[in-house]
Amino acid sequence: MAEVRLTGVTKRFGRDVGIEDVTLTVPDGAFVVLLGPTGAGKTTTLRLISGLETPDAGEIAIGGHVVNDLTPAQRDVAMVFQQYSLYPHMTVRDNLAFPLRSPILKTPKDAIAARVREVAEVLHIAHKLDNKATALSGGEMQRVSIGRALVRQPQLFLMDEPLSSLDAKLRSDLRIELKRIQADLGATLLYVTHDQIEAMTMATHVGVLDRGRLVQFGPPKEIYENPASLYVAGRLGLPRINALPAGLFPGAPAGAKTIGLRPEHIAQGEGQPARVVRVEHLGDQTRLHLTLDGHDVITLTDVHTDLGPGDTVAVAPRNPLYFDARGARIT
Amino acid sequence: MKRLAGWTMSAPATLLVALCLIVPVTATIAATFVTGQGPFAAYAAFFGSGFRRAVLIRTLEIAGATTILSLLIGFLTAYVVSRAPPRWRSILIIMAVFPLLTGVVVRSFAWLIILGRNGIVNNTLVGLGITAEPLPMIYTQGSVIVAMVYLFVPLMVLTLVGVLENIPDDVIQAAQSLGAGPFATFREVIFPLAVPGLIVGAVLVFTGSFTSYATPQLLGGERQMVMGTLLHQRAMVAFDWPGAATISAIMVAVTLAVVLGMTRVAKRLNPMAT
Repeated sequence: MAEVRLTGVTKRFGRDVGIEDVTLTVPDGAFVVLLGPTGAGKTTTLRLISGLETPDAGEIAIGGHVVNDLTPAQRDVAMVFQQYSLYPHMTVRDNLAFPLRSPILKTPKDAIAARVREVAEVLHIAHKLDNKATALSGGEMQRVSIGRALVRQPQLFLMDEPLSSLDAKLRSDLRIELKRIQADLGATLLYVTHDQIEAMTMATHVGVLDRGRLVQFGPPKEIYENPASLYVAGRLGLPRINALPAGLFPGAPAGAKTIGLRPEHIAQGEGQPARVVRVEHLGDQTRLHLTLDGHDVITLTDVHTDLGPGDTVAVAPRNPLYFDARGARIT
Repeated sequence: MKRLAGWTMSAPATLLVALCLIVPVTATIAATFVTGQGPFAAYAAFFGSGFRRAVLIRTLEIAGATTILSLLIGFLTAYVVSRAPPRWRSILIIMAVFPLLTGVVVRSFAWLIILGRNGIVNNTLVGLGITAEPLPMIYTQGSVIVAMVYLFVPLMVLTLVGVLENIPDDVIQAAQSLGAGPFATFREVIFPLAVPGLIVGAVLVFTGSFTSYATPQLLGGERQMVMGTLLHQRAMVAFDWPGAATISAIMVAVTLAVVLGMTRVAKRLNPMAT
């Protein structure tokens, strides 16, 4: 297991920026989630670390060794792709054994069989070992794909939205499983996702990318509670943070243009009157869609609320976040 | 009702194949077993002749060499084409198959000009003083093979590009990121996935070159007689129809054997292919 260090890494594709001057240290044993919309450079970052792309500038080090000039095979990383990318001409067993049969590792036959068995047990696919890889369900294929990365026990795992094409139930099962496996192995893992629940539940660190730049890096709690910008604040939290003109409520600091209110950071029963537009009962929580001076606001309320559309409720900020005209946080 | 419609629509083609292919071929082959001197007399005569055995062996050699060379050249070309950016891909394919737009005879004739006694190659060699005399390149087995490879590589490229394009980049990259070097990636992933295409291409090229007539006629002449030219000679020059029928029966048998053999090879190389 190893620490990963990116220093000033830049990659462009023609005129398009892949990532721009990214400096990032992934501590040994960390579970780092990279967040950002499509095109922010998440996948590019993974591909650069894996060696499938070469950086235009900057240095990539794994376990203290600069790997810029090494081939993907020499880097001792294992990548899991979004689309499984299993070898269609092999059985599940052969797919799992493939990385161990590579010339660099030279594992003895019985050790390969034992390791494949072990990984298959962990991922609950032992009964499918002799199936054709393409004759599996989506969830099984993705587990094989993850298993293929696990068998090698590499220094570093790279996973590119591995759960995005699975259904919700399977996704939450595998989420727990992945986190457990990572904790058991003490593995360093870099994980790309759109899904903020995955980010919040699995990550030890979250890196937020914006148009190729790393805009904030830290524990998920810190990113959530202490976002450096409005952009970062919008990446975590569901329902999303409410971004309203700062002047809507009294007490905004000088230079503030926007006030950011998390749904749970709105006190009810005091302050400005807002009209209820819609009430969403989700079972474990109830969401209140309000309109305040023509601005939409979403907040949470008592699960058994009596409020209905058309009612008026007074709202006031509690622990608000302020941002300036450029979206930067004002503290 | 649907089934009837299907039959009706495929009837003309079925009828055409039955009347123009199955009936005459069956009749021709059947005739070789009824010669009045026992059922296998015609074949005994064929294999009893040293000359005809040599022709069969030469034809197998030429077809085999053509197939192997076309596989090598075609695979490399197709791989480059299939991994090229989409914008370039169609241009490269058009360039690769451009020779197909002219006829077989024309393309074979081109090689006469290149390899002939006063051809481009000989003129250059003599002109540069590398050889004193023009080299006898034409009417050799080599010249036939060269021309046939030229003839069949576009076919191979077309067949293989389709198969190679269908191998997702992800699968190749997964192999690389999981510790396989370029050679292992090729051997374990790309090659097995390409096997179905290689087999189709090999069967097409082998049967095509085994039964070819024009190219060996032009570039091999009488000296490099192959099954196709021998057949023509027996039927149209010597009017030895039973002999010609025997030759065609052997050609059909060899072709069938090759197709079946290749399918078995494919099963072994890529057991998952269906």
